Amino acid sequence: MRLIQIAVLGLGLALGGCATKNSGLYDWGGYDAMLYGAYKDPTTAAANTQKLQLHIDKLEQGKLKVPPGLYADLGMLELQAGEKEKAQAHFRKERDLWPESAGLMNALINNGTMPKAQEAKS
Amino acid sequence: MKALATLTTLVAGLLLTGCATQQAASDLSAFNAAKPRSILVVPAANKSLDVDAPNYLLTTLTVPLAEKGYYVFPVHTAKTVLEQEGFYDGDQVQKQPPESLAKLFGADAVLYVTINRWDAQYAVITTTVTVDFDYRLVYKDGTELWKANKKMQYSPQQQNSGSPLGNLIAAAVNAAMTRAKPNYMPLAQQANFQVLTGAPTAIPDGPYRSVN
Repeated sequence: MRLIQIAVLGLGLALGGCATKNSGLYDWGGYDAMLYGAYKDPTTAAANTQKLQLHIDKLEQGKLKVPPGLYADLGMLELQAGEKEKAQAHFRKERDLWPESAGLMNALINNGTMPKAQEAKS
Repeated sequence: MKALATLTTLVAGLLLTGCATQQAASDLSAFNAAKPRSILVVPAANKSLDVDAPNYLLTTLTVPLAEKGYYVFPVHTAKTVLEQEGFYDGDQVQKQPPESLAKLFGADAVLYVTINRWDAQYAVITTTVTVDFDYRLVYKDGTELWKANKKMQYSPQQQNSGSPLGNLIAAAVNAAMTRAKPNYMPLAQQANFQVLTGAPTAIPDGPYRSVN
């Protein structure tokens, strides 16, 4: 009987060991499809921006980590739609959640519009 | 007892082969030494005839790279900033030294992709959709960390309807639909996923996967 337990444990290890490699870190909510939609048909940019905002709202409400780049790309879409305040708030959130983005986000926040080459100095 | 022996053998087999997907892997010594945390994906250089291919491909790279555990710079933001700097297409961007691109964004590494193929070839009753990419990841000091190529093809599988005329019609309908609107996105997604996570080209896990 003991042997069976070991075998089952081994099977679990074998399956589990591989499965964890593929388990997702984040809930993307179709971020890639939203960007694709906005590129394929630019008239859908506003609708896709809205979808991205709704997905982020859902993650925040569920206290789930917002995947890399989502706040920032939402901010950029807003900036391109002329919504500077909203955009800056989202750039700040990207920076606070993902320290790797700090240089780029600070440049975007401080510049208000777009960074020119000046962020390369920092 | 016989069943148990079979089970044990099966388990052993799984243990040996199930995860042994790393054999004959590419040389990752530079990658492992550099330990990049963040990756900047720049717009792809395009050797295909489809002018939309670089934008579409750009949307497919964030998910597999981030799921490997890296911080991936927001691709739409990066593309827009590069356009502000006067770089409107990937071929131009890719001529920039990785050192200056990495510095501009504060990135540890830059991923360059070249689209070799992004096309649909039409035959009488079948259509083959092909994507083919070269990938190159370069560290902020200019060291090449990883390179790979991936090609994926798809032709609609025809169902056997039992009658030769039925088969011919089904194939013709399939081909017509693929011709009217070839769908490259699942192919591009598969290519990226396989090249980044499958043997022998997989990249090491990044910091956000290692801590979990």
